[in-house]
Amino acid sequence: MIAGIITILLFISIYSLNFYMNTQREEVVVDRMEQILDEYQEIQALSLMSDAFGKEMTCLSLESTLSHLDKTLWDTGLKIDQYREVTEQFITDPFYLNQKKKFNRNEVIYLSMLENMKEACNINQSVLLYFYKKKEECPDCDAQAFVLTDINKEIDDEIAIFSFDSNLELPSINALAVFYNISSFPCTVVEDHTYCGLHNKNDIENILCKYRDHSIC
Amino acid sequence: MNIGYVVLVHVVWFLSTYFVIVFLLAIFSNKKILYESPKLKESNKLPKASIIVSAYNEEGTIANCIESLKKIDYPKELYEVIIINDGSKDKTANIVSKYQSKNIIFIDNEKNNGKAACLNQGIGKAKGEYIACMDADSIVPEDILKKTVPYFEDNKIGSVTVSVEVMQANNFLQRIIRLEYLLGLSLFLKIFSLFNCIHVTPGPFSIYRKKLLDNIGYFDTNNITEDLEIAYRIHKSGYKIANCMTTSVKTITPNNFKGLYRQRRRWYSGALLTLWQHKDILMKNKVGLFGYFIPYNYMLIASGLGLFIFSIYLTMSNTFKILSYYALTNYNFFSNWTFNFDVLGISLFVFFGISGILGMVLLVTSGLNASRNSPKKKPSLYLGYFMLFLLYQAFWLASFFIVLTKRKVRW
Repeated sequence: MIAGIITILLFISIYSLNFYMNTQREEVVVDRMEQILDEYQEIQALSLMSDAFGKEMTCLSLESTLSHLDKTLWDTGLKIDQYREVTEQFITDPFYLNQKKKFNRNEVIYLSMLENMKEACNINQSVLLYFYKKKEECPDCDAQAFVLTDINKEIDDEIAIFSFDSNLELPSINALAVFYNISSFPCTVVEDHTYCGLHNKNDIENILCKYRDHSIC
Repeated sequence: MNIGYVVLVHVVWFLSTYFVIVFLLAIFSNKKILYESPKLKESNKLPKASIIVSAYNEEGTIANCIESLKKIDYPKELYEVIIINDGSKDKTANIVSKYQSKNIIFIDNEKNNGKAACLNQGIGKAKGEYIACMDADSIVPEDILKKTVPYFEDNKIGSVTVSVEVMQANNFLQRIIRLEYLLGLSLFLKIFSLFNCIHVTPGPFSIYRKKLLDNIGYFDTNNITEDLEIAYRIHKSGYKIANCMTTSVKTITPNNFKGLYRQRRRWYSGALLTLWQHKDILMKNKVGLFGYFIPYNYMLIASGLGLFIFSIYLTMSNTFKILSYYALTNYNFFSNWTFNFDVLGISLFVFFGISGILGMVLLVTSGLNASRNSPKKKPSLYLGYFMLFLLYQAFWLASFFIVLTKRKVRW
């Protein structure tokens, strides 16, 4: 009887600890999303300043902010996926689904801002869009993400990768998918050219080098 | 995540944690009485005892066994030793014949009949009120009878088991097995006895009430683990099995993995066959707590094995998956590798695993603290014990396969 009570108490303690950690995970994700929003505001401010005071003055700051945002976005995306996986082992938490939606919307906003600023500030970054779906519908998507993560680590400053979860059914992502003629998954878009199917590191590097001169070329 | 895996993790965690906590509470609350054993009332005369040893190709060990039996501190006229040569092809018969005396009886069988048949043959000839059955590769201390016989003053006691110790631990494997015996075949049996749940009367040395053996019909010659099978019938007959930790039997253990596998294959296959043979006691009140302890124990083993297989499958499939990913990056293992440990990335599975390992460490430590003659608590010993535990899962798997495919297991 006592042993049974102790066992149940231990079980409750472990679940309570997990619940506490889940709360902490959610706080981390929310903090990071707020950080991204702050950086957007900074970019918006710089854009307005650019109109008022001229591009020469703001381009340098803008480039630095965009580069930092790119890293924040990538790390946040990975963190959401990691926490979502840990949580989904036991429960389906709508929190991560909502955050993922917010995150993808933010990526679309960032992509639009980057496209606007690229020409004006002569930003020499390759833009890579990665469209994926969940494992069950796209067995090669995890492998493609692994390859892109590896490339991103290698030429982080020279590349901006945007990953879009097509399962979220966001109108903005659907519009992008139609615009880039995404027919299957995984699908990668490099400098407005669409490459669907799984591509290894060498393939992606060759594609990147085709459009811009990178340190890996 | 697979729902089956989630369920298995919970089931194994609950069953094993409850088991560990029951043991820990039992150790702490009975620490003082673990090494207590009854003494014969002075008014009672010492009863006659018989010790039966079955020997098959034991030329290297039988002499030591007989020497230890000769030194037993018990009136010579009140105990006899019956040694049965089970058709040995070596010099066992020659060695034993030299020891023949008034109280050392030698039966030389030309044909190999198996251990159970030999023991039964010896029991048939025995004149003792209590019958001890012993392995020929084991040795006993002088006090073995004086410590065990008094238990039979309680008329409900049908058999008494003693602590089983490893005679020589020459290598790391044997040192781990020594720890395993110290806990599993000594302390745990004592704890089981507190709940009247001893499931085995170990072959190296166990003593039985002759009247009980006459009632239940001796050892089952068709069972490869006759010492386990008889324990079930003792419970069925309404008798209890006691455990005495104040004396012990020293026995030889396998010194390599092949030998260990052969031994455990027999033990585990025999255990499964015995379970099937006596399935009528499962979840039945007629054998008391034993009827619930046995299914609990095998449920833990089966679910633990299921979790083991599932975990191996998941680990291997993840490893192959990751390797296939690395193949896409030209096996770029380290050039872009960064160590990012995030405590929040730890899942509930890990907490279950950590609590399970901590429970096991606590159980082993408490067991060592409660036991006399325990080895030093070295981390390598703990790790080895844990690894052996994993290895036994593979042995259980092999045993399940053997039983399900109805293959024959030899001694």
